[in-house]
Amino acid sequence: MNLARKICTTHHSYVTKNLYRKFRFSAINYDNSTATQPQVKEEKYNFEDINTLERTERRKAQIQPFIKDVFTSIFNKELLAYPEILNKEETESLEKRINIISNVFENPQKTAQDRRNVLKNTKMYAAPISLTRNGLAANITESLRYLEIIAGDFQLGQEISDHWVALQALQEGLSQEQLSMIIDDLISGDKPVSLAIKERVAERISQADFRTAAEMDSQGIWYINGEKVCNYSNGYILLLATYESAQLKAFLVHPGASGVSSNGAFVSFMKTPATPLEMINNDRLAKILGLSRLFASVLCRSRLSTAVRSVVEYTRPRAFSGKPLSELTTIQSTVGNALLDVYASESADYFTAGLLDGYSEPDAEVEVAMCRNFIANHGLTSMLHLLTIPALDKEEECKQLLDDMRHVATRGETLDSVNMFIALNGIHHAGKVMSEEVKQIRNPLMHPTFIFKKEKDDPKLTLYLAEYLHPSLKQPSEQLEYCVLRMRFACETLMARHGVKISSAYTELGRLAEAATEILVMSAVLARASRAYCIGLRNADMEMKLAACFVEKTRDKVRKLIKEIDDGEYLNLDHFTTQFGRKALDSNATNPTLVEKPTARVFW
Amino acid sequence: MANKILGQFLRSRPSMMMFKRWESSEPEKRVTIHDPFYSQPQKNKETYLEVVKMFEGRDNRRRGHVEFIYAALARMKEFGVQKDLEVYKALIDVLPKGKFIPKNIFQAEFMHYPKQQQCAVDLLEQMEDNKVMPDTEMEQMLLNIFGARGIPLRKFWRMMYWMPKFRNLSPWYLPEQLPNDTTELAKLAIQRITSVDPDTKVEVWQTEEIEASLDKTWVVSAQSETQKILLADQPTDDPLVVKGPFNIYLREQVVNYFLLIGKIRPEIKDNTDPDDVSKIEKPLGIPGLIGSTTLPALRQTVHEQDDGTIVSVCATGTSSRDSLLSWIRLLEKNGNPLLSSIPVIFTLTAPPSEMAIQETQPAIKDNKEKEESKI
Repeated sequence: MNLARKICTTHHSYVTKNLYRKFRFSAINYDNSTATQPQVKEEKYNFEDINTLERTERRKAQIQPFIKDVFTSIFNKELLAYPEILNKEETESLEKRINIISNVFENPQKTAQDRRNVLKNTKMYAAPISLTRNGLAANITESLRYLEIIAGDFQLGQEISDHWVALQALQEGLSQEQLSMIIDDLISGDKPVSLAIKERVAERISQADFRTAAEMDSQGIWYINGEKVCNYSNGYILLLATYESAQLKAFLVHPGASGVSSNGAFVSFMKTPATPLEMINNDRLAKILGLSRLFASVLCRSRLSTAVRSVVEYTRPRAFSGKPLSELTTIQSTVGNALLDVYASESADYFTAGLLDGYSEPDAEVEVAMCRNFIANHGLTSMLHLLTIPALDKEEECKQLLDDMRHVATRGETLDSVNMFIALNGIHHAGKVMSEEVKQIRNPLMHPTFIFKKEKDDPKLTLYLAEYLHPSLKQPSEQLEYCVLRMRFACETLMARHGVKISSAYTELGRLAEAATEILVMSAVLARASRAYCIGLRNADMEMKLAACFVEKTRDKVRKLIKEIDDGEYLNLDHFTTQFGRKALDSNATNPTLVEKPTARVFW
Repeated sequence: MANKILGQFLRSRPSMMMFKRWESSEPEKRVTIHDPFYSQPQKNKETYLEVVKMFEGRDNRRRGHVEFIYAALARMKEFGVQKDLEVYKALIDVLPKGKFIPKNIFQAEFMHYPKQQQCAVDLLEQMEDNKVMPDTEMEQMLLNIFGARGIPLRKFWRMMYWMPKFRNLSPWYLPEQLPNDTTELAKLAIQRITSVDPDTKVEVWQTEEIEASLDKTWVVSAQSETQKILLADQPTDDPLVVKGPFNIYLREQVVNYFLLIGKIRPEIKDNTDPDDVSKIEKPLGIPGLIGSTTLPALRQTVHEQDDGTIVSVCATGTSSRDSLLSWIRLLEKNGNPLLSSIPVIFTLTAPPSEMAIQETQPAIKDNKEKEESKI
């Protein structure tokens, strides 16, 4: 089959190729037929010393960053095959472990202590640690699977996701000797590592945004002073501090260190001795700590799934007008929408995990951030819709669910700050590629031909994504293609409008980030559905419908976002909304209102 | 325009003369002047309305009502009723109902009872000048007097178009009735000035708190947290400057205020090409790490203007130099310790009236305090 395809592509001339494309019934552009096949390299065993056996990673060669390229309308079609990371043995041992964990986690009779114990027994507290150090050497894909089960217990899920991220940072940041000294304590599970990065927002203009400082005394010991947001402060704490006024470095504070006091969600440090993570640079640290966003996405999704389950439980035994309540189409569609979000977020998460695990030196921080923002944004809305169904009947449970969701969606950072990170990274990448073009557009008199160029909202679809997906996904794939092709235009418009000041056009960047996020999720959804249908997974037809539905729905969203970017601040009303907000923020009245009450009069 | 010219012809303002009476006591008959407004012992709204009522009750034909209305309009300020709608209504009520309504097309076209109409228009104009908003009852009264085609009605409708539009146009809201207390008035004025920074705190201090002060008066001082920090960052070798007095108007009232001005930080110099997007900075991307670890030492607050950094603003009861000195001392006491070590120059553009008295007295001289005035 593959051979036949290859022969076909080589034999057709250029003219026929174009002809075929016009009619689109051939996979003639399918130049990489091996893309769908998982590439398995031989594992190398060191038979001489079986104890030092380390997990071999089967990474493909480095690829261009996927979503950053989308900002310039370049699409890596190979990724539409959906990454397959785990081989048979790995999957089997993964399933076995998950079975053990889920038996405990899904049993309502088990206590929190039981759950903690099963995590300890299955070496969950050592998951990312290498095999030689008595860990599991779990990659991201596996971690996500584990976390999905563990997130059933919200507290434990948060704790372990921080723990995993911190372990990875420690593994790379500490020297081998330092790590050997504390590794057993770290992975025992009694003192999990928590992350402390975020600080309070500055309260005065004379305060820097980031204030926790580290100092080294004459004996070479580092001391930390400052205050951090930290959820669990009973174990190890991995924190970020400045030294020499502008440099950043991560430090590990041991449990029971002097000068640590916690107050609610805040932990303050007073001359607390700490171990610096010397071996890791800031970029690498950012990449590792960024993973906490992927885990946050899993936590969000699990909250949404719990809410769906709770609504289903509520609806099933109840009735309305002599019919089962579950026959109400509004309830059905609300649940359906929530499930669509869950499906989309799940696809994006594993897609991103595949990028991180499947390629050498992956550059997928932006994708990770997008996964988090997608579900944090849509999850909150879906959750609110879902929770209106039981309304007041399940008051306490609803409150808890909503609060958990809100907490995890804003944990560590806000939607807006993540959006800025996404957009600025994209613009940074696009700016490098398109700087010449933007310069020409911004100086039209020097480059008169550019004046007459006007892009229409109907780009020529030249990516031929449909050829990389199942044929029945042709229409959705074209919709995705449209969105991808419009991204370059959106970036160009923004950069042409703002020049280098683009980094402070926050509302517009927010839109760009949102559009790119939707595109990533669309790609992941399409790839996943196509893969599922091609390999014949159970309910694959449902997946196809979910995918088509999601893409159809999202395309309009992306089109609207890009149109608003194109329109500018007056037509998309940003100018006015910011004005209203500004007026309220600037007024020194205790209860700022924009207008008078509707009953007020000027004359009688 | 035509109305205006006609008005000039028709207008006659016997401001003092009210009623001509034949004095019967004298053998030869002489005309004497009787001014009921003048003879009122107390000048307030009640007595004013009393006079109007007296006029109405004196003669059911109401002779000389146009003259009476003009005279009454001229006396309004004296009685302090120029802003009172009720008084204007009472004056309009003096005019007879029905008589001035035109009955045919010619009357309507050629200004029926021109003097009376002009009088009503003048009354409305005085209302407008005093920013008194008429109401619908007044419209009804005018309709009953002049009919729908009367010029006063047209004036009324125009007023009702524009006046509500201008009424609340000012972004700085003032209460309908301004306070009589000067401290409160100064507080209002300072609040308007400092509305650029919603964080500003307006405080009222008494100069008695400072022992060396000569003027015992109040000081309305305003400073925000940002200004405190800007003041604390001022170089100690360069003097701060007190500038003023400047005027701020609250309707008819004027309040003098003074500024304490310091040095400005350097302006942002950006020589990068605004079109070159190839090197846009991207954030590091550690979750939870937002912003920067250092502060830019550049000008970026609203208090830093081209001619200096405004670190505080005040109004005092006497606007004298001594009260300003007390203000600086009070500022120092209330969270600005740097002021004890930084010299302050007083450059008062025009000395207020109290200044002369101050000059004769020995001014309290601080070693670090230099005083200058452009007298």
